[in-house]
Amino acid sequence: MQCAKVTASRGQLLDPAAAEWASIRGESVKMSATPLANQPSEYIKASRDEKQVGKVRDLTVQTVHNGSDIFFRLSWEDATNNVETTDITTFVDGCGIAIPIKGGDPPIDEMGSKDYPVNAWFWRADYEDGTARNTFAKGLGTTEFSKDSPIQAKATWQNGTWAVVFARALAVPEQKDEAVQLAEGSAVKIGFAVWEGSNGERAGVKSFSKEWLDLTVEA
Amino acid sequence: MAALTEEEKQRQKEQRAKELAAEAKSQKAKLKECERQIAMVFDLNKCLGCQTCVVACKTLWTRDEGMEYMWWATVNTQPGKGTPKDWEQMGGGFRGEEPRPGNLPTTREFGEAWEFNYEEVFFGGKGNTVHLQPKGNPDWGPNWDEDQGGGQYPNSFYFYLPRICNHCTEPACLDACPRNAIYKRPEDGIVVISEERCKGYRFCVEACPYKKIYYNLARNIAQKCISCYPRIEEGVPPACAWQCPGRMRFVGFLDNEQGPIYKLVKQWKVALPLHGDRGTKANVYYIPPISPPRFDASGNIDESKPRIPTEYLKYLFGEEVEAALATLQAEMAKTKAGGKSELMDTLIVYEWKTLFGPFRTDPATLQRPKA
Repeated sequence: MQCAKVTASRGQLLDPAAAEWASIRGESVKMSATPLANQPSEYIKASRDEKQVGKVRDLTVQTVHNGSDIFFRLSWEDATNNVETTDITTFVDGCGIAIPIKGGDPPIDEMGSKDYPVNAWFWRADYEDGTARNTFAKGLGTTEFSKDSPIQAKATWQNGTWAVVFARALAVPEQKDEAVQLAEGSAVKIGFAVWEGSNGERAGVKSFSKEWLDLTVEA
Repeated sequence: MAALTEEEKQRQKEQRAKELAAEAKSQKAKLKECERQIAMVFDLNKCLGCQTCVVACKTLWTRDEGMEYMWWATVNTQPGKGTPKDWEQMGGGFRGEEPRPGNLPTTREFGEAWEFNYEEVFFGGKGNTVHLQPKGNPDWGPNWDEDQGGGQYPNSFYFYLPRICNHCTEPACLDACPRNAIYKRPEDGIVVISEERCKGYRFCVEACPYKKIYYNLARNIAQKCISCYPRIEEGVPPACAWQCPGRMRFVGFLDNEQGPIYKLVKQWKVALPLHGDRGTKANVYYIPPISPPRFDASGNIDESKPRIPTEYLKYLFGEEVEAALATLQAEMAKTKAGGKSELMDTLIVYEWKTLFGPFRTDPATLQRPKA
């Protein structure tokens, strides 16, 4: 996956409907159910059918940077836009990006490891418009949410398709332990996840890219 | 090095899944560890159904935004649908060691907090023409089927069943949480949820067979009865127990052999967990209700059959309920005949504060923190 350098502002690229995105090649990412066998809860294993997990199987990812900020635009088909938790029984849509913080090849289906933590950018349809959370994990069930998030996100749902743009400064030196540091020329591993609210997906119950993809930030 | 075959990869994955499961199990075991266990015994023969415990809990703990529909302590009429509606049919708990899938109840099934027409009646000048009533014609509430009960006249029957979180020894909620946000306090076994770790995923709500975990929609966290641990830490009994006019709630450590809890549960075996078959080892125990005899078809009293069908009590409290009822009746007969019964004395509670084990401090004597 190539993150090309463009000349456009954060304000322009943060809009999922911006004309700038039309010319950026999208990479199609095959998504799979997260393996139930890895769930850190015997209850989740016993109460779910893996065949029903991970409703969203096709994700399109576009990425660019402008020298100071990096952008990811994730889009997928979804007939139901679940944007609000209206009752105990309802869940909202969401998506995320995972990148190992210190490189290495930590297991993607275990949310990193003690030695190789993973930084995950997390957007949920009920978050305040424009915001996303910064999280980091050192293995299953260990995800922590950072106090401050350096990530912005904007989303649209139109004609049965979600489009979510994440934006972040390439380097966030004030969060060196909690967030991946990027720069022109960086080569990192990257993974994706989507939660389908109407399918009761939350936590580790989601669809994800089973293997790390290679991301190169063009110089 | 030769690439792994598919079969080898699969085997590695399975091996890794086993390691992860073992790791998760040992983490869960740590979260369940406790030196002592606080337990409660509710004497159903003394419950008046007055809802004072319910209101004591409500006013103390669940008045904030998002908690409107929460009643951590409830009292329902049995037989009945209870709260949330039909909770006994919602699954959860364990079958053997295997977790049993459960449902998420809706706020409607719990019984939403009703709005009343106070404005209209008290301040709108319609005090003489309009009744004070809930707005929007609700068709369910947390105590909707009060006093309906079961059976046919002249053998109709009912009794009250107060419920709180059971602070289980094997909490299904704790096991279900993928974030290890739920734990038993090491000093007293009270089950609590860390509001920092909880992210509102609600697997605990699904897994609890008693449906005593509530999801706060305003804060996106799960909340539940905390056995009034800030009171417990000051030697004060939980509010539901302290306020109970029927004096039917015993509180204490399960392992204190001199205390009433140990005597009722372990020694006399007359206090039983509700739906023990759900496998969570609940720490609230119930003295089953003794009922008068039935009338037969010709209207005569049939001493051989109790008004509350024993089968129904077995459904609630297990097979052991028969022996418990027999013991209670035998001891009662002893006192009727002028004899003495330690069990009856324990249940009568001559000294109010003996209900509360080591937690006998009057909360009114404590200094309140400044707001």
